[in-house]
Amino acid sequence: MQHRSVLSGLVASIAFASLTIGSQALAKEKIPRLPNGKPDFSGIWQTTSAADYDLEPHSTRKDAPPSAGIVEGGVIPYLPAALEQKKKNFAARETDDPRLKCWTLGTPRGIYYPEPFQVLQRETDVTIVFQFGHSVRTLWTNDTLHPKATDNELYLGDSRGHWEGDTLVVDVTDFNEDTWLDRAGNFHSPQLHVIEKWRFLDENTIDYQATLDDPNVFSRPWNIEVILHRHREKNFQLIENYCYTRDFDQYYPVPAKE
Amino acid sequence: MSHTILSKVLRGILLAASVAAGASSAVAQNASAPGGGGIQRETSFPAIASGKWTGKRLRDGQPDIQGQWSNTIANHNNWTDPQGGVPGDPNPRAIPKTARSERAPSRVSDPADGQVPFQPWARALQQDFLANFHNPTRPEYIEPLARCAPAGVPKSFTWHGFEIRQYPGIVLIMFNSGSRLIYLDGRPHLPGSIKLWNADSRGHWEGNTLVVDVTNNNAKARLARTGEFASDKVHIEERYIFDNSGQRFNYVATITDPTVYTRPWTATIPVRRYTEKDEPDGWHYEVDVANTKDGHLQHEHPERVCIENNGPFGQVAVAPPKK
Repeated sequence: MQHRSVLSGLVASIAFASLTIGSQALAKEKIPRLPNGKPDFSGIWQTTSAADYDLEPHSTRKDAPPSAGIVEGGVIPYLPAALEQKKKNFAARETDDPRLKCWTLGTPRGIYYPEPFQVLQRETDVTIVFQFGHSVRTLWTNDTLHPKATDNELYLGDSRGHWEGDTLVVDVTDFNEDTWLDRAGNFHSPQLHVIEKWRFLDENTIDYQATLDDPNVFSRPWNIEVILHRHREKNFQLIENYCYTRDFDQYYPVPAKE
Repeated sequence: MSHTILSKVLRGILLAASVAAGASSAVAQNASAPGGGGIQRETSFPAIASGKWTGKRLRDGQPDIQGQWSNTIANHNNWTDPQGGVPGDPNPRAIPKTARSERAPSRVSDPADGQVPFQPWARALQQDFLANFHNPTRPEYIEPLARCAPAGVPKSFTWHGFEIRQYPGIVLIMFNSGSRLIYLDGRPHLPGSIKLWNADSRGHWEGNTLVVDVTNNNAKARLARTGEFASDKVHIEERYIFDNSGQRFNYVATITDPTVYTRPWTATIPVRRYTEKDEPDGWHYEVDVANTKDGHLQHEHPERVCIENNGPFGQVAVAPPKK
Protein backbone atom coordinates (compact mmCIF):
# COMPACT_ATOMS: atom_id res chain seq x y z
CA MET A 1 0.00 0.00 0.00
CA GLN A 2 2.78 2.28 1.01
CA HIS A 3 4.52 1.49 -2.24
CA ARG A 4 1.39 2.34 -4.16
CA SER A 5 0.84 5.64 -2.42
CA VAL A 6 4.46 6.64 -3.11
CA LEU A 7 3.94 5.73 -6.72
CA SER A 8 0.70 7.67 -6.99
CA GLY A 9 2.40 10.58 -5.27
CA LEU A 10 5.17 10.39 -7.81
CA VAL A 11 2.68 10.27 -10.66
CA ALA A 12 0.84 13.21 -9.17
CA SER A 13 3.98 15.28 -8.84
CA ILE A 14 5.05 14.46 -12.38
CA ALA A 15 1.59 15.44 -13.55
CA PHE A 16 1.78 18.62 -11.46
CA ALA A 17 5.24 19.39 -12.78
CA SER A 18 4.16 19.00 -16.35
CA LEU A 19 1.07 21.09 -15.63
CA THR A 20 3.28 23.83 -14.19
CA ILE A 21 5.62 23.69 -17.16
CA GLY A 22 2.58 23.65 -19.40
CA SER A 23 1.04 26.75 -17.81
CA GLN A 24 4.38 28.58 -17.91
CA ALA A 25 4.68 27.76 -21.57
CA LEU A 26 1.12 28.92 -22.06
CA ALA A 27 1.84 32.17 -20.21
CA LYS A 28 4.89 32.65 -22.41
CA GLU A 29 2.80 32.10 -25.51
CA LYS A 30 0.03 34.34 -24.28
CA ILE A 31 2.07 37.44 -23.55
CA PRO A 32 1.63 40.09 -26.23
CA ARG A 33 4.50 40.42 -28.66
CA LEU A 34 5.67 42.85 -31.31
CA PRO A 35 6.14 41.58 -34.88
CA ASN A 36 9.84 41.07 -34.08
CA GLY A 37 8.88 38.63 -31.31
CA LYS A 38 9.85 40.86 -28.38
CA PRO A 39 7.36 41.21 -25.50
CA ASP A 40 4.97 44.13 -26.07
CA PHE A 41 4.34 46.04 -22.83
CA SER A 42 1.84 48.41 -24.50
CA GLY A 43 -0.96 49.27 -22.11
CA ILE A 44 -1.76 51.31 -19.04
CA TRP A 45 -0.04 50.16 -15.83
CA GLN A 46 -0.04 50.97 -12.14
CA THR A 47 1.30 49.52 -8.94
CA THR A 48 -0.95 48.65 -6.01
CA SER A 49 2.02 48.88 -3.65
CA ALA A 50 2.65 51.60 -1.09
CA ALA A 51 6.19 52.03 -2.43
CA ASP A 52 5.87 55.75 -3.10
CA TYR A 53 5.07 56.47 0.56
CA ASP A 54 8.34 54.95 1.69
CA LEU A 55 10.56 52.43 -0.09
CA GLU A 56 11.72 51.04 3.24
CA PRO A 57 9.62 49.04 5.73
CA HIS A 58 7.57 51.26 8.02
CA SER A 59 4.71 51.14 10.50
CA THR A 60 1.61 53.19 9.93
CA ARG A 61 1.98 56.92 10.37
CA LYS A 62 -0.11 59.97 9.64
CA ASP A 63 1.16 60.35 6.07
CA ALA A 64 1.67 56.71 5.10
CA PRO A 65 -0.09 53.37 5.33
CA PRO A 66 2.06 50.58 6.78
CA SER A 67 4.15 48.63 4.31
CA ALA A 68 6.97 46.10 4.24
CA GLY A 69 8.58 48.27 1.59
CA ILE A 70 10.10 47.11 -1.69
CA VAL A 71 13.82 47.28 -0.86
CA GLU A 72 15.61 43.94 -0.98
CA GLY A 73 17.01 43.42 2.52
CA GLY A 74 14.81 46.19 3.88
CA VAL A 75 17.41 48.95 4.28
CA ILE A 76 18.79 51.45 1.79
CA PRO A 77 22.58 51.41 2.29
CA TYR A 78 23.24 55.11 2.75
CA LEU A 79 26.69 56.54 3.28
CA PRO A 80 26.84 58.27 6.70
CA ALA A 81 26.55 61.87 5.44
CA ALA A 82 23.80 60.90 3.02
CA LEU A 83 21.87 59.23 5.81
CA GLU A 84 21.91 62.53 7.71
CA GLN A 85 20.52 64.26 4.60
CA LYS A 86 17.86 61.60 4.26
CA LYS A 87 16.79 62.24 7.86
CA LYS A 88 16.54 65.96 7.13
CA ASN A 89 14.50 65.24 4.03
CA PHE A 90 12.21 62.98 6.05
CA ALA A 91 11.66 65.67 8.64
CA ALA A 92 10.78 68.19 5.93
CA ARG A 93 8.84 65.82 3.70
CA GLU A 94 5.54 67.66 4.01
CA THR A 95 7.03 70.69 2.27
CA ASP A 96 10.10 69.53 0.35
CA ASP A 97 8.92 66.53 -1.63
CA PRO A 98 9.25 67.62 -5.30
CA ARG A 99 5.97 65.85 -6.07
CA LEU A 100 4.18 68.60 -4.12
CA LYS A 101 5.40 71.04 -6.75
CA CYS A 102 4.31 68.56 -9.42
CA TRP A 103 7.82 68.28 -10.71
CA THR A 104 8.55 65.32 -12.91
CA LEU A 105 8.93 62.33 -10.59
CA GLY A 106 12.03 60.84 -12.17
CA THR A 107 13.22 57.26 -12.57
CA PRO A 108 12.29 54.89 -11.02
CA ARG A 109 9.77 56.88 -8.91
CA GLY A 110 7.42 57.50 -11.84
CA ILE A 111 6.97 53.75 -12.20
CA TYR A 112 5.72 53.06 -8.66
CA TYR A 113 3.96 56.38 -8.09
CA PRO A 114 0.25 55.70 -7.47
CA GLU A 115 -1.06 57.11 -10.74
CA PRO A 116 -1.28 55.24 -14.06
CA PHE A 117 1.27 55.47 -16.84
CA GLN A 118 0.91 54.34 -20.42
CA VAL A 119 3.46 52.28 -22.31
CA LEU A 120 3.52 52.66 -26.09
CA GLN A 121 5.98 50.42 -27.83
CA ARG A 122 7.69 50.16 -31.19
CA GLU A 123 10.61 47.95 -32.11
CA THR A 124 12.94 50.94 -31.80
CA ASP A 125 11.68 52.41 -28.54
CA VAL A 126 9.40 52.13 -25.55
CA THR A 127 7.55 55.35 -24.77
CA ILE A 128 6.14 55.97 -21.31
CA VAL A 129 3.54 58.71 -20.85
CA PHE A 130 2.98 59.48 -17.18
CA GLN A 131 -0.41 60.76 -16.08
CA PHE A 132 1.27 62.75 -13.28
CA GLY A 133 2.82 65.80 -14.88
CA HIS A 134 2.27 64.21 -18.27
CA SER A 135 5.98 63.94 -18.87
CA VAL A 136 7.18 61.49 -21.50
CA ARG A 137 10.11 59.10 -21.18
CA THR A 138 11.66 57.20 -24.07
CA LEU A 139 13.51 53.93 -23.48
CA TRP A 140 15.57 53.50 -26.64
CA THR A 141 15.80 49.93 -27.91
CA ASN A 142 17.44 50.89 -31.21
CA ASP A 143 20.99 49.85 -30.33
CA THR A 144 22.06 53.41 -29.53
CA LEU A 145 24.33 54.24 -26.60
CA HIS A 146 24.13 56.85 -23.85
CA PRO A 147 24.99 60.34 -25.17
CA LYS A 148 28.68 61.18 -25.30
CA ALA A 149 27.92 64.26 -23.21
CA THR A 150 27.07 63.07 -19.71
CA ASP A 151 26.10 66.38 -18.13
CA ASN A 152 22.61 66.72 -19.57
CA GLU A 153 21.18 66.26 -16.06
CA LEU A 154 17.79 64.94 -17.03
CA TYR A 155 14.81 64.49 -14.73
CA LEU A 156 14.01 61.05 -16.14
CA GLY A 157 17.57 60.05 -17.01
CA ASP A 158 18.83 58.75 -20.33
CA SER A 159 17.44 55.25 -20.95
CA ARG A 160 19.07 52.70 -23.26
CA GLY A 161 17.48 49.25 -23.36
CA HIS A 162 18.30 45.81 -24.68
CA TRP A 163 16.60 42.43 -24.52
CA GLU A 164 17.86 39.48 -22.51
CA GLY A 165 15.41 36.81 -23.61
CA ASP A 166 11.98 38.18 -22.74
CA THR A 167 13.38 40.66 -20.20
CA LEU A 168 13.86 44.29 -21.17
CA VAL A 169 17.01 45.54 -19.44
CA VAL A 170 17.34 49.32 -19.36
CA ASP A 171 20.44 51.23 -18.33
CA VAL A 172 19.56 54.71 -17.05
CA THR A 173 22.11 57.45 -16.37
CA ASP A 174 22.54 61.23 -16.61
CA PHE A 175 20.20 62.42 -13.87
CA ASN A 176 19.80 65.74 -12.11
CA GLU A 177 19.34 66.04 -8.34
CA ASP A 178 15.86 67.54 -8.40
CA THR A 179 13.92 64.34 -7.82
CA TRP A 180 13.32 62.20 -4.76
CA LEU A 181 12.80 58.45 -4.72
CA ASP A 182 9.66 58.56 -2.55
CA ARG A 183 7.65 60.71 -0.13
CA ALA A 184 9.91 59.74 2.77
CA GLY A 185 12.85 61.76 1.50
CA ASN A 186 14.93 58.96 0.03
CA PHE A 187 17.12 60.66 -2.52
CA HIS A 188 20.04 60.44 -4.94
CA SER A 189 22.67 62.60 -6.59
CA PRO A 190 23.32 63.22 -10.33
CA GLN A 191 25.59 60.15 -10.12
CA LEU A 192 22.55 57.88 -9.82
CA HIS A 193 22.73 54.85 -12.07
CA VAL A 194 19.62 52.69 -12.47
CA ILE A 195 19.37 49.30 -14.15
CA GLU A 196 15.76 48.31 -14.75
CA LYS A 197 14.44 44.86 -15.60
CA TRP A 198 10.97 44.63 -17.10
CA ARG A 199 9.35 41.24 -17.68
CA PHE A 200 5.87 39.80 -17.93
CA LEU A 201 4.62 37.48 -15.19
CA ASP A 202 1.52 37.00 -17.31
CA GLU A 203 -0.13 39.13 -19.97
CA ASN A 204 -1.63 41.49 -17.39
CA THR A 205 1.22 41.68 -14.88
CA ILE A 206 4.75 43.06 -15.12
CA ASP A 207 7.54 42.31 -12.69
CA TYR A 208 9.63 45.47 -12.43
CA GLN A 209 13.04 45.29 -10.79
CA ALA A 210 15.60 48.03 -10.47
CA THR A 211 19.13 48.23 -9.16
CA LEU A 212 20.14 51.67 -7.87
CA ASP A 213 23.71 52.75 -7.47
CA ASP A 214 25.13 56.16 -6.57
CA PRO A 215 28.68 56.47 -5.22
CA ASN A 216 27.86 59.86 -3.66
CA VAL A 217 24.92 58.55 -1.67
CA PHE A 218 24.93 54.76 -1.26
CA SER A 219 27.63 52.40 0.02
CA ARG A 220 26.66 49.69 -2.49
CA PRO A 221 24.07 48.99 -5.18
CA TRP A 222 20.62 47.99 -3.88
CA ASN A 223 17.52 46.48 -5.40
CA ILE A 224 13.83 47.14 -5.49
CA GLU A 225 11.02 45.07 -6.96
CA VAL A 226 7.43 46.01 -7.61
CA ILE A 227 4.53 44.42 -9.48
CA LEU A 228 2.65 46.46 -12.07
CA HIS A 229 -0.94 45.65 -12.99
CA ARG A 230 -2.61 46.34 -16.31
CA HIS A 231 -5.64 48.62 -16.21
CA ARG A 232 -8.40 46.56 -17.78
CA GLU A 233 -11.38 48.80 -17.03
CA LYS A 234 -13.44 49.43 -20.16
CA ASN A 235 -12.13 52.43 -22.10
CA PHE A 236 -9.61 53.27 -19.37
CA GLN A 237 -7.39 56.15 -20.42
CA LEU A 238 -4.94 58.59 -18.91
CA ILE A 239 -6.47 61.88 -17.84
CA GLU A 240 -3.78 64.54 -18.09
CA ASN A 241 -2.63 65.75 -14.70
CA TYR A 242 -0.47 68.79 -15.41
CA CYS A 243 -0.84 69.53 -11.75
CA TYR A 244 1.78 72.31 -11.73
CA THR A 245 -0.97 74.36 -13.39
CA ARG A 246 -3.23 74.16 -10.36
CA ASP A 247 -1.68 77.16 -8.63
CA PHE A 248 -2.58 79.45 -11.50
CA ASP A 249 -5.71 77.75 -12.84
CA GLN A 250 -7.77 80.29 -10.95
CA TYR A 251 -6.36 83.15 -13.05
CA TYR A 252 -7.76 81.71 -16.23
CA PRO A 253 -11.48 81.63 -15.79
CA VAL A 254 -13.14 80.54 -18.97
CA PRO A 255 -14.55 83.65 -20.57
CA ALA A 256 -18.30 83.41 -20.78
CA LYS A 257 -20.89 85.86 -21.96
CA GLU A 258 -22.51 87.53 -18.99
CA MET B 1 27.25 72.73 -21.23
CA SER B 2 25.66 70.14 -23.43
CA HIS B 3 23.47 70.96 -26.35
CA THR B 4 20.40 69.56 -24.61
CA ILE B 5 20.75 71.77 -21.61
CA LEU B 6 21.84 74.73 -23.64
CA SER B 7 18.74 74.58 -25.78
CA LYS B 8 16.50 74.11 -22.76
CA VAL B 9 18.02 77.02 -20.93
CA LEU B 10 17.92 79.19 -24.03
CA ARG B 11 14.33 78.27 -24.52
CA GLY B 12 13.51 79.34 -21.00
CA ILE B 13 15.42 82.59 -21.28
CA LEU B 14 13.89 83.43 -24.62
CA LEU B 15 10.41 82.59 -23.50
CA ALA B 16 10.90 84.76 -20.47
CA ALA B 17 12.50 87.57 -22.43
CA SER B 18 9.85 87.66 -25.08
CA VAL B 19 7.10 87.82 -22.49
CA ALA B 20 8.68 89.95 -19.83
CA ALA B 21 10.63 92.39 -21.95
CA GLY B 22 8.50 92.19 -25.03
CA ALA B 23 11.50 91.22 -27.13
CA SER B 24 11.14 90.98 -30.84
CA SER B 25 9.88 87.61 -31.90
CA ALA B 26 12.13 87.59 -34.93
CA VAL B 27 15.21 88.32 -32.84
CA ALA B 28 14.26 85.74 -30.26
CA GLN B 29 13.63 83.10 -32.86
CA ASN B 30 16.88 83.69 -34.67
CA ALA B 31 18.82 83.71 -31.44
CA SER B 32 17.20 80.45 -30.39
CA ALA B 33 18.63 78.66 -33.37
CA PRO B 34 22.18 77.55 -32.59
CA GLY B 35 22.46 76.28 -36.15
CA GLY B 36 21.66 79.76 -37.39
CA GLY B 37 18.60 78.55 -39.24
CA GLY B 38 16.08 80.73 -37.48
CA ILE B 39 12.42 80.13 -37.77
CA GLN B 40 11.37 79.22 -41.23
CA ARG B 41 9.10 81.84 -42.65
CA GLU B 42 7.14 80.76 -45.63
CA THR B 43 4.87 83.53 -46.83
CA SER B 44 2.67 81.14 -48.75
CA PHE B 45 2.14 77.41 -48.76
CA PRO B 46 0.52 74.77 -50.95
CA ALA B 47 -3.03 73.57 -50.47
CA ILE B 48 -3.24 69.80 -49.94
CA ALA B 49 -6.39 68.03 -51.09
CA SER B 50 -8.03 65.30 -49.06
CA GLY B 51 -7.92 62.06 -51.01
CA LYS B 52 -6.22 58.70 -51.23
CA TRP B 53 -3.10 57.83 -49.27
CA THR B 54 -0.49 56.22 -51.50
CA GLY B 55 2.45 56.40 -49.11
CA LYS B 56 3.80 53.97 -46.50
CA ARG B 57 1.45 52.26 -44.08
CA LEU B 58 1.89 50.78 -40.63
CA ARG B 59 0.96 47.24 -39.67
CA ASP B 60 -2.51 48.31 -38.51
CA GLY B 61 -3.12 50.03 -41.86
CA GLN B 62 -2.62 53.62 -40.70
CA PRO B 63 -0.70 55.93 -43.05
CA ASP B 64 2.82 56.12 -41.59
CA ILE B 65 3.31 59.77 -40.71
CA GLN B 66 5.73 59.28 -37.82
CA GLY B 67 8.59 61.66 -37.22
CA GLN B 68 9.52 65.26 -36.45
CA TRP B 69 7.34 68.11 -37.75
CA SER B 70 7.03 71.86 -37.36
CA ASN B 71 4.86 74.69 -38.66
CA THR B 72 6.39 76.68 -41.50
CA ILE B 73 5.26 80.26 -41.01
CA ALA B 74 5.79 81.64 -37.51
CA ASN B 75 5.26 81.13 -33.81
CA HIS B 76 2.34 82.05 -31.58
CA ASN B 77 2.97 85.81 -31.48
CA ASN B 78 0.03 86.71 -33.66
CA TRP B 79 -2.86 84.49 -34.70
CA THR B 80 -4.20 86.46 -37.65
CA ASP B 81 -0.97 88.09 -38.90
CA PRO B 82 1.46 85.31 -38.00
CA GLN B 83 4.56 87.19 -39.17
CA GLY B 84 3.38 90.56 -37.93
CA GLY B 85 4.68 90.38 -34.36
CA VAL B 86 2.56 91.28 -31.35
CA PRO B 87 0.83 94.67 -31.90
CA GLY B 88 1.96 97.21 -29.35
CA ASP B 89 5.35 95.60 -28.85
CA PRO B 90 7.54 98.27 -27.21
CA ASN B 91 10.62 96.89 -28.95
CA PRO B 92 11.01 98.84 -32.21
CA ARG B 93 12.74 95.86 -33.83
CA ALA B 94 9.53 93.90 -33.43
CA ILE B 95 7.60 96.16 -35.78
CA PRO B 96 7.41 94.34 -39.11
CA LYS B 97 9.20 96.07 -41.97
CA THR B 98 7.19 94.36 -44.67
CA ALA B 99 3.73 95.17 -46.01
CA ARG B 100 0.92 92.91 -44.78
CA SER B 101 0.56 91.46 -48.30
CA GLU B 102 4.19 90.25 -48.17
CA ARG B 103 3.61 88.25 -45.01
CA ALA B 104 1.97 84.86 -44.50
CA PRO B 105 -1.83 84.86 -44.53
CA SER B 106 -3.98 84.78 -41.42
CA ARG B 107 -4.36 81.40 -39.75
CA VAL B 108 -8.08 82.08 -40.03
CA SER B 109 -8.76 80.64 -43.49
CA ASP B 110 -12.52 81.03 -43.17
CA PRO B 111 -14.15 83.60 -42.94
CA ALA B 112 -12.37 85.14 -45.91
CA ASP B 113 -11.50 88.33 -44.02
CA GLY B 114 -9.04 86.32 -41.92
CA GLN B 115 -10.56 87.44 -38.62
CA VAL B 116 -11.93 85.29 -35.83
CA PRO B 117 -15.71 85.93 -35.93
CA PHE B 118 -15.97 87.01 -32.31
CA GLN B 119 -19.21 88.16 -30.75
CA PRO B 120 -18.80 91.84 -29.73
CA TRP B 121 -18.19 91.10 -26.02
CA ALA B 122 -15.59 88.47 -26.92
CA ARG B 123 -13.85 90.80 -29.36
CA ALA B 124 -13.64 93.40 -26.61
CA LEU B 125 -12.12 90.84 -24.23
CA GLN B 126 -9.57 89.70 -26.85
CA GLN B 127 -8.60 93.34 -27.40
CA ASP B 128 -8.24 93.77 -23.65
CA PHE B 129 -5.94 90.72 -23.43
CA LEU B 130 -3.86 92.10 -26.31
CA ALA B 131 -3.71 95.65 -24.94
CA ASN B 132 -2.35 94.30 -21.64
CA PHE B 133 -0.04 91.63 -23.02
CA HIS B 134 3.17 93.64 -22.96
CA ASN B 135 2.65 95.02 -19.49
CA PRO B 136 0.46 92.57 -17.61
CA THR B 137 -1.03 94.19 -14.52
CA ARG B 138 -3.34 91.33 -13.60
CA PRO B 139 -2.60 87.59 -13.45
CA GLU B 140 -5.06 86.78 -16.25
CA TYR B 141 -3.13 89.07 -18.61
CA ILE B 142 -0.14 86.74 -18.45
CA GLU B 143 -0.44 84.43 -21.39
CA PRO B 144 -0.70 80.94 -19.81
CA LEU B 145 2.09 79.42 -21.89
CA ALA B 146 4.42 81.94 -20.24
CA ARG B 147 3.68 80.01 -17.04
CA CYS B 148 4.46 76.84 -18.97
CA ALA B 149 0.91 75.64 -19.10
CA PRO B 150 0.34 73.30 -22.03
CA ALA B 151 -0.27 75.34 -25.17
CA GLY B 152 -3.48 73.45 -25.86
CA VAL B 153 -5.43 72.86 -29.05
CA PRO B 154 -4.71 74.28 -31.61
CA LYS B 155 -1.93 76.59 -30.41
CA SER B 156 0.54 73.76 -29.76
CA PHE B 157 1.04 73.46 -33.52
CA THR B 158 2.54 76.97 -33.64
CA TRP B 159 4.90 76.44 -30.68
CA HIS B 160 8.18 74.66 -31.48
CA GLY B 161 8.52 71.47 -33.48
CA PHE B 162 6.73 68.33 -32.38
CA GLU B 163 7.04 64.58 -32.84
CA ILE B 164 4.39 62.11 -33.95
CA ARG B 165 4.64 58.45 -32.96
CA GLN B 166 2.01 55.91 -34.01
CA TYR B 167 0.84 52.64 -32.52
CA PRO B 168 -2.01 50.29 -33.38
CA GLY B 169 -5.12 52.39 -32.74
CA ILE B 170 -3.24 55.37 -31.29
CA VAL B 171 -1.50 58.51 -32.53
CA LEU B 172 0.78 60.21 -29.98
CA ILE B 173 1.82 63.83 -30.55
CA MET B 174 4.57 65.12 -28.30
CA PHE B 175 4.79 68.89 -28.18
CA ASN B 176 7.33 71.15 -26.56
CA SER B 177 4.69 71.83 -23.93
CA GLY B 178 2.49 68.80 -23.27
CA SER B 179 1.41 65.81 -25.31
CA ARG B 180 -1.75 64.38 -26.88
CA LEU B 181 -2.88 60.78 -27.16
CA ILE B 182 -5.40 60.42 -29.98
CA TYR B 183 -7.43 57.21 -29.79
CA LEU B 184 -8.59 55.74 -33.10
CA ASP B 185 -10.67 52.88 -31.65
CA GLY B 186 -14.03 54.62 -31.65
CA ARG B 187 -14.35 54.82 -27.87
CA PRO B 188 -16.55 57.57 -26.43
CA HIS B 189 -15.11 60.86 -25.18
CA LEU B 190 -14.46 61.42 -21.48
CA PRO B 191 -17.42 62.66 -19.43
CA GLY B 192 -18.15 66.29 -20.28
CA SER B 193 -17.41 67.52 -16.77
CA ILE B 194 -13.71 66.71 -17.23
CA LYS B 195 -11.92 69.69 -18.78
CA LEU B 196 -8.29 69.46 -19.89
CA TRP B 197 -5.58 71.80 -21.18
CA ASN B 198 -4.95 69.51 -24.14
CA ALA B 199 -8.60 68.39 -24.38
CA ASP B 200 -9.76 64.87 -25.32
CA SER B 201 -9.17 63.52 -28.82
CA ARG B 202 -10.86 60.78 -30.88
CA GLY B 203 -9.63 60.22 -34.41
CA HIS B 204 -10.04 58.18 -37.54
CA TRP B 205 -8.33 58.09 -40.93
CA GLU B 206 -10.05 59.08 -44.18
CA GLY B 207 -7.49 58.31 -46.89
CA ASN B 208 -4.65 60.81 -46.44
CA THR B 209 -6.49 62.70 -43.72
CA LEU B 210 -6.45 62.15 -39.98
CA VAL B 211 -9.79 63.45 -38.69
CA VAL B 212 -9.85 64.18 -34.95
CA ASP B 213 -12.82 65.20 -32.83
CA VAL B 214 -11.66 67.36 -29.91
CA THR B 215 -13.80 68.00 -26.84
CA ASN B 216 -13.33 68.46 -23.06
CA ASN B 217 -11.18 71.55 -23.67
CA ASN B 218 -10.67 73.66 -20.55
CA ALA B 219 -10.07 76.63 -22.89
CA LYS B 220 -7.59 78.17 -20.47
CA ALA B 221 -4.89 78.20 -23.13
CA ARG B 222 -5.17 81.11 -25.57
CA LEU B 223 -4.60 80.79 -29.29
CA ALA B 224 -1.81 83.34 -29.43
CA ARG B 225 -0.17 86.24 -27.66
CA THR B 226 -2.75 88.37 -29.44
CA GLY B 227 -5.36 87.06 -27.00
CA GLU B 228 -7.76 85.04 -29.16
CA PHE B 229 -9.64 82.45 -27.12
CA ALA B 230 -12.53 80.00 -26.98
CA SER B 231 -14.72 78.86 -24.09
CA ASP B 232 -14.88 75.39 -22.55
CA LYS B 233 -17.93 74.77 -24.78
CA VAL B 234 -15.64 74.76 -27.81
CA HIS B 235 -15.79 71.86 -30.24
CA ILE B 236 -12.91 71.42 -32.66
CA GLU B 237 -12.83 69.11 -35.66
CA GLU B 238 -9.26 68.72 -36.85
CA ARG B 239 -8.23 67.51 -40.27
CA TYR B 240 -4.54 66.70 -40.70
CA ILE B 241 -4.27 66.46 -44.48
CA PHE B 242 -1.03 64.74 -45.48
CA ASP B 243 0.71 65.19 -48.81
CA ASN B 244 1.46 61.79 -50.36
CA SER B 245 5.15 62.68 -50.44
CA GLY B 246 4.99 62.41 -46.64
CA GLN B 247 6.88 65.70 -46.37
CA ARG B 248 4.08 68.08 -45.46
CA PHE B 249 0.65 68.34 -43.99
CA ASN B 250 -1.85 71.09 -43.53
CA TYR B 251 -3.64 71.26 -40.22
CA VAL B 252 -7.18 72.43 -40.89
CA ALA B 253 -9.46 72.81 -37.88
CA THR B 254 -13.11 73.82 -37.77
CA ILE B 255 -13.73 75.63 -34.50
CA THR B 256 -17.28 75.89 -33.22
CA ASP B 257 -18.32 77.74 -30.08
CA PRO B 258 -21.69 79.53 -30.22
CA THR B 259 -21.01 81.13 -26.85
CA VAL B 260 -18.01 83.07 -28.20
CA TYR B 261 -18.22 83.27 -32.01
CA THR B 262 -20.95 84.34 -34.43
CA ARG B 263 -20.26 81.32 -36.66
CA PRO B 264 -17.90 78.33 -36.93
CA TRP B 265 -14.53 79.28 -38.38
CA THR B 266 -11.55 77.46 -39.84
CA ALA B 267 -7.90 77.58 -38.82
CA THR B 268 -5.16 76.44 -41.20
CA ILE B 269 -1.55 75.80 -40.15
CA PRO B 270 1.04 74.54 -42.67
CA VAL B 271 3.52 71.98 -41.38
CA ARG B 272 6.59 70.30 -42.80
CA ARG B 273 8.68 67.30 -41.87
CA TYR B 274 12.19 67.54 -40.43
CA THR B 275 14.75 64.77 -40.84
CA GLU B 276 18.46 64.11 -40.53
CA LYS B 277 18.87 66.17 -43.73
CA ASP B 278 17.99 69.23 -41.66
CA GLU B 279 20.27 71.05 -39.26
CA PRO B 280 18.94 70.96 -35.69
CA ASP B 281 17.94 74.53 -34.82
CA GLY B 282 16.64 74.34 -31.26
CA TRP B 283 13.15 75.47 -32.25
CA HIS B 284 11.56 73.69 -35.21
CA TYR B 285 13.92 70.77 -34.92
CA GLU B 286 14.86 70.35 -31.28
CA VAL B 287 16.94 67.21 -31.51
CA ASP B 288 20.29 65.90 -30.38
CA VAL B 289 22.66 63.63 -32.25
CA ALA B 290 22.20 60.05 -31.06
CA ASN B 291 25.30 58.08 -30.08
CA THR B 292 25.16 55.34 -32.70
CA LYS B 293 27.55 52.40 -32.61
CA ASP B 294 28.59 52.74 -36.24
CA GLY B 295 28.62 56.52 -36.19
CA HIS B 296 25.79 57.02 -38.68
CA LEU B 297 23.85 60.26 -38.25
CA GLN B 298 20.66 59.80 -36.31
CA HIS B 299 18.71 62.43 -34.39
CA GLU B 300 16.64 61.95 -31.26
CA HIS B 301 14.70 64.23 -28.96
CA PRO B 302 15.80 64.21 -25.31
CA GLU B 303 13.28 63.63 -22.52
CA ARG B 304 9.97 65.46 -22.86
CA VAL B 305 10.24 67.51 -19.73
CA CYS B 306 9.98 71.20 -20.39
CA ILE B 307 12.51 72.65 -17.98
CA GLU B 308 10.27 75.63 -17.54
CA ASN B 309 7.66 73.28 -16.13
CA ASN B 310 10.02 72.25 -13.42
CA GLY B 311 12.14 75.23 -12.68
CA PRO B 312 11.80 78.98 -12.43
CA PHE B 313 12.31 81.39 -15.27
CA GLY B 314 11.46 84.97 -15.99
CA GLN B 315 9.13 86.80 -13.71
CA VAL B 316 6.03 84.70 -13.74
CA ALA B 317 6.91 81.06 -13.21
CA VAL B 318 8.75 80.95 -9.93
CA ALA B 319 9.59 77.71 -8.21
CA PRO B 320 9.91 77.61 -4.43
CA PRO B 321 13.42 78.60 -3.30
CA LYS B 322 16.04 75.89 -3.06
CA LYS B 323 16.65 74.76 0.44
